[in-house]
Amino acid sequence: MKVRELILRVQDFYLLSVNAPLNVLRRPLYMRDTVEQMDYMGTGSLFIVVLVSLFIGMALSLQISAELTALGLKMYTGRIVGLAIIREIGPVAIALSFAGRVGSGITSEIGSMVLGHQVDILRVHGVNPLKKLVTPRVVGAVLMLPVLTVIGDAVSLLGGYYISVFVSHQSGSFYWSQIRDIMNFKNIFSGVIKPFLFGYLIACISCYMGLSARGGARGLRKATTSAVVISTIMIIITDFVLTRVLLFALGERV
Amino acid sequence: MIEFRDVTLAYGERVVLDRLSFKAQFHEKVAILGGSGEGKTTILRLVLGLVHPDDGKIIINGQDITDLSETQVRDVRMNFSIVFQEGALFDSMNVRENVAFSLREYTKYSEDEIEERVRSLLKRLAIEDAIELMTAELSGGMQRRVAIARSLAAGEPRMMLYDEPTTGLDPLTSENICKLIGDLSTGEPPGRPGFIIVTHKVTDAARVAERFMYIRSGRIVFDGAIDALKNTADAELRSFISELHVA
Repeated sequence: MKVRELILRVQDFYLLSVNAPLNVLRRPLYMRDTVEQMDYMGTGSLFIVVLVSLFIGMALSLQISAELTALGLKMYTGRIVGLAIIREIGPVAIALSFAGRVGSGITSEIGSMVLGHQVDILRVHGVNPLKKLVTPRVVGAVLMLPVLTVIGDAVSLLGGYYISVFVSHQSGSFYWSQIRDIMNFKNIFSGVIKPFLFGYLIACISCYMGLSARGGARGLRKATTSAVVISTIMIIITDFVLTRVLLFALGERV
Repeated sequence: MIEFRDVTLAYGERVVLDRLSFKAQFHEKVAILGGSGEGKTTILRLVLGLVHPDDGKIIINGQDITDLSETQVRDVRMNFSIVFQEGALFDSMNVRENVAFSLREYTKYSEDEIEERVRSLLKRLAIEDAIELMTAELSGGMQRRVAIARSLAAGEPRMMLYDEPTTGLDPLTSENICKLIGDLSTGEPPGRPGFIIVTHKVTDAARVAERFMYIRSGRIVFDGAIDALKNTADAELRSFISELHVA
């Protein structure tokens, strides 16, 4: 890719990322499209999020119980599992699942609309594709990913509870008391703020890749793959940066 | 009038249009012929300001639209209606919603007025019975008709743009679509609405058009009427139009 083309693409992505959320303040609002997207992203992703979260919670609890048993500290399983899920693994794992399901769906849908000239038709009829296609998806992702993350975290904690109590034979009430202990502002804020940004990134990257799809089925495949790969990388990098910033901002020492 | 002045456009390294120039009146019936990937659809997209040329000028009705913004070019687009290849219908909508789309976006008609206009357009195009059907349930010919109905919904254009309107259709359906294209451009010039049809199906173009352009390597190598086209000395063009001689 030439430097000029790369700069133009970065510029286009920047304009899309800035204008998509700002369009919420400009009419028409396309509420029906937004609700449709929220349903697709939220309700449609619920099953996969519950499934992924349940097994992550169980696997984490199993591994941590095994390690802590060797140290004679297995009663702290709930604390470590809860902290890891709420602050790190929950938001990241659910965002990755979301990128795989919703991000790829966004890119392939918008990409096929570009290749099938439906986006041209929108423009010919005076409809701004950014408003009609991108903004509802960005709003949907920004609102639904945090909701899915909270549900996923709860399911992960239940999975951890099941392993701790029925496999590791720990006290259920102590497990929940450990979880209650870590449910403070810092931990909840750190875990809930991330999915807002992840949702925004996934939607912007996926929409951009869809709108820049060229060259038939092969181009669509390339765009969809790129959307998922770039989203995955960005989620992980952003998670690291956010964790560092939040630790500093919330006055926690490393 | 549409005027292309030395328009050049490349996608990456591939030059699609190379200093292409032509003029066409709104009432003309023009067919742009050429093989796949010769930039025929790109010409229609340039007319509508959906893409900008790398070089040269595009003048519509005396106004240079080459560098107009999306908002500025909207008034220019009102002169045209376009029917893309395979219809480009919205597959999440049924026929009624597809045809009503531009009315809802462009106009302030009430729902009753929109319904009346949609039904009248579908009746005119003989597909009123399909009003509740989804795009996936339509045949190729019906999809083109719905696309034409949608393109006419917001108002009568001065010129229609057709992108491969008969590609993928059987001969009978192609003939019906050609007849429809002809019927939509009846009347005497300069008052009648004209069209530009881009296609590689020469017989279909010959059914409806009065002026023919042939594009090769991004340039117009032929521009004339049907008789001149049939008697061209260009060997490659003669081969391209060979089905005309058979017909």
